Amino acid sequence: MTGAGEHHEDDTVLAAEHVLGLLEGDDLIRAEARLQSDAAYRALHALWAEDFASLTDEIAPVAPPSRVRSAIDKRLFGMRREGLLRRLGLWPALTAAALAAGTYLVVTNLDLLRPEPAGPSLRAEIAAEDGGLVVQVAYDPADPEALQVSRPSGAPASGRSLELWLIAGEAAPVSLGVLPDDREGRVTVPEALRPLLSQAVLAISDEPAGGSPTGAPTGAVLGAGPVTTL
Amino acid sequence: MSRLIEIEAMIARIALGDRVAFGALYDATSAKLFGICLRVLTNRAEAEDALQEIYVKVWHNAGRYQVNGLSPMTWLITIARNHAIDRLRMRRKAESRGGGDMEAVAAMADTSPGPEALAVAASDNAQIERCLTELEPERAGAVRGAYLSGDSYTELAARYDVPLNTMRTWLRRSLMRLKECLTR
Repeated sequence: MTGAGEHHEDDTVLAAEHVLGLLEGDDLIRAEARLQSDAAYRALHALWAEDFASLTDEIAPVAPPSRVRSAIDKRLFGMRREGLLRRLGLWPALTAAALAAGTYLVVTNLDLLRPEPAGPSLRAEIAAEDGGLVVQVAYDPADPEALQVSRPSGAPASGRSLELWLIAGEAAPVSLGVLPDDREGRVTVPEALRPLLSQAVLAISDEPAGGSPTGAPTGAVLGAGPVTTL
Repeated sequence: MSRLIEIEAMIARIALGDRVAFGALYDATSAKLFGICLRVLTNRAEAEDALQEIYVKVWHNAGRYQVNGLSPMTWLITIARNHAIDRLRMRRKAESRGGGDMEAVAAMADTSPGPEALAVAASDNAQIERCLTELEPERAGAVRGAYLSGDSYTELAARYDVPLNTMRTWLRRSLMRLKECLTR
């Protein structure tokens, strides 16, 4: 056994122990340093990593729950894609009514794909899955009193109104009033509610003309969307 | 294999801050990595937390992928396995109670993985499995235990009821034989 051969064998085993996580203390520190500085050692390490990784072949894939993806998005990109359905769970009767009517809730958020969100403005998009209703909401802190509401698609049913709701945290939906008849308009936000906007979900329900008579949603939920920071 | 090239391309785009690519990579690989987390951690909540950390790491470290010399799935699997093992070891340190709840693991599947995820999971390289069968079952078990359970030499020695130095010698010889088989 030559010194060089011995050295090579030692490195082979060392790299395997390294990949397996069996090294400790000084041995580990030295091996980590070699990973940075020694290409031959790095190659041995990579080969073992590849071989041992195939030990996971027999592990069956398991689809993770969607909340994991939401949590990752929130952490990395500061957005919330989740929690919406749970929040809407506060309206069990309404959700049931929406489902019975064949209306699915869909959250569309064009900003998800935006590469660089910046600035303090807020926006949300509320859309019915069939595209029969699309409402875009923007909030400019320089114009704090109202939301800019634009409705490129959809209209209230005859003799009915579309009502906008704010859902903050676990609280019950709070009415922001009925949507204007015009496709572009403003909806005033009471001062007390403004700080809640950035963490809120907005939703639209079908209500009697002039809005819900009870102060809580009474008709079908047509769509909902989280408020996102631009 | 073209699937691996696609995954490689996704990682390259993620390195440039492409969130769409990140979403695509998550869709294609999260079931595989979640399976690994569940297997290592045997605890659903912890596996979910681990998966979150793993993809945060993937996002932040995608730029380092090209220089590490590993295939893209190996890179992802290694990040997942190492993170899960780190958590497991911290848990072992924190509590001395043993044994995960295997039944809970078996009952964990929320939904079936999509065809993409399955395609990624199926590897054409199970050579190490074949080589492990050439070792005595106990020694093969020790190698698996080290990789999939993060067992230390001390833990392995206790499990197989041999002195620590014997365990080292054992495992190192097994690794040499494994390498010999793998390069055959």
